[in-house]
Amino acid sequence: MHAIETWDLTRAFGDRVAVERLTFTAPRGAVFGFLGPNGAGKTTTVRMLAALIAPTSGSAVVAGYRLGEEDQDIRRNVGLLTESPGLYERLSARQNLIFFARLYDLDAARAEVQTERYLRMLGLWDRRDDPVGSFSKGMRQKLAIARALLHEPAIIFLDEPTAGLDPEAARTVREFIKELRAEGRTIFLTTHNLPEADELCDTIAVFRTRLLRIGAPDTLRAELFGSSTRIRVAGDATMFLDVVRALPFVRAAAASGDALTLSLDNPDEQNPILVQALIKAGAAIRYVEPREHSLEDVYLHLVREAEPIGQSHA
Amino acid sequence: MRKALVILHKEWLELRGERTLLMTVIVPPLLLTILPIVALYLIGSTPDEDTSQPGAVIADPSFVGLSEPEVGQALMGKQFGLMFLIMPLLVPATIASYSIVGEKMRRTLEPLLAAPVRTWELLLGKCLASLIPSLIITWGAAAVFVLALRLIVLSDRVYQVILGGGWWILLLLGSPSLALIMVAATVAISGRVNDPRTAQQVSAVVVVPLLALFIAQLLGVVVLTPLLALIASTALAFLAILAFAGAILLFERENILTRWAS
Repeated sequence: MHAIETWDLTRAFGDRVAVERLTFTAPRGAVFGFLGPNGAGKTTTVRMLAALIAPTSGSAVVAGYRLGEEDQDIRRNVGLLTESPGLYERLSARQNLIFFARLYDLDAARAEVQTERYLRMLGLWDRRDDPVGSFSKGMRQKLAIARALLHEPAIIFLDEPTAGLDPEAARTVREFIKELRAEGRTIFLTTHNLPEADELCDTIAVFRTRLLRIGAPDTLRAELFGSSTRIRVAGDATMFLDVVRALPFVRAAAASGDALTLSLDNPDEQNPILVQALIKAGAAIRYVEPREHSLEDVYLHLVREAEPIGQSHA
Repeated sequence: MRKALVILHKEWLELRGERTLLMTVIVPPLLLTILPIVALYLIGSTPDEDTSQPGAVIADPSFVGLSEPEVGQALMGKQFGLMFLIMPLLVPATIASYSIVGEKMRRTLEPLLAAPVRTWELLLGKCLASLIPSLIITWGAAAVFVLALRLIVLSDRVYQVILGGGWWILLLLGSPSLALIMVAATVAISGRVNDPRTAQQVSAVVVVPLLALFIAQLLGVVVLTPLLALIASTALAFLAILAFAGAILLFERENILTRWAS
């Protein structure tokens, strides 16, 4: 069974459709990246899946429970890190966590144990009795993550977990996410940080009101751009553009300065043929290297192809 | 029920740190207790020579047989006594107005609503957090008033007229219901506005019927007998239950999150 399954999940606010016919599955024990520009409907999706708001139409099963029918069970089995940490600033870190642990049905003794466990794990134990109002942004974010985990949920929704954090705090959070994945938890991660998504996510969904593409980061790269090879030659590479374009297996070719960038289906077999053709044409080859497309390339390619935000899909 | 108590505990922990809010909760009842005591003492020590009988004295048989100075003190004492029925409306409104809107302002509402807490548990916790201090303050202030009366009234008859059976019944049975009506109204409004002062001002409408009782008693239109107080307390209990149920019905989690949350 999947951690999350949705079928045509749709949410409209009046005439404006925030999420349109979203259908996907998120496997258990994996990090599922949910990427999209501001206003794409990511937070609305998370709120629907966390049973905070109801869909206008469509259905979903989250942690094995049906959305709209077993909402209390969904809330009990998911953890949510909201965009803003949302902590009680006059209360201490410990009081904040104990409060939420009790709301998530942990008895008093277990609430104490879990609070200590996560405060220690996230390096906040020494500050446990300090009011949260005195905490740095990074400490608050860590505490909010601890709050989302206290009841040991099977699925954790993390909305921009490293936004606004300094590099060290962001790294701590990323390492922590990896630990959670290693424990077999499912993590639904929304982020604008594409290198972070590339590093952490097993599956990525690119979303802009509707689902644009879903797959493993490497699969998306291959699907959109194929494999690329960059060949650097002595002198002007544009002189050899016609030579490589004449080869039937070259899907696309571009030249810039001394570099030729070529899109190929099977570089292992086709690179030697390519090199032979260039040498035959008089090229002095300096380097042959694979060219990796970043997740940012994938994301921008998909998002720019999609319709502008604000257009009604009703 | 357990989760309502968890929320109640959290609310009190937070309230403890809100010194300004605590002052606005404590100072008005303090004034409403001290001023009547001082006023009644002065009335008792400087008797009015006016022998005309106001409507309240003519209509209320308990005044029969009192001397002119005793009538003056008893008449004012009865009016001041009603202040203690207004008190359960003043105190909880201040606290309750922060209940939901305060969570919105601090952006703590979303994690709270994401927890497996039912609306009635959330609102019961919020309501109790305002209701219990309000009753403690009201009954504490009333106790001070009762003890002070013992010392300043001109006679036992005056004491009995001011603190008649109707007053005791309304204080002990009616005030919890009054407070709950106010709290439920304020919490319901607090979920729909973005400013605690707005919630407080709108919910102040609940005070109007009590002011009507205040004036009606002064004019002699209403005499607060034990039977009337008992009927009123029963009606108020019924209204309080309706008000709480109404607050639950009016609390729309989705709208609060998507429309009002900043």
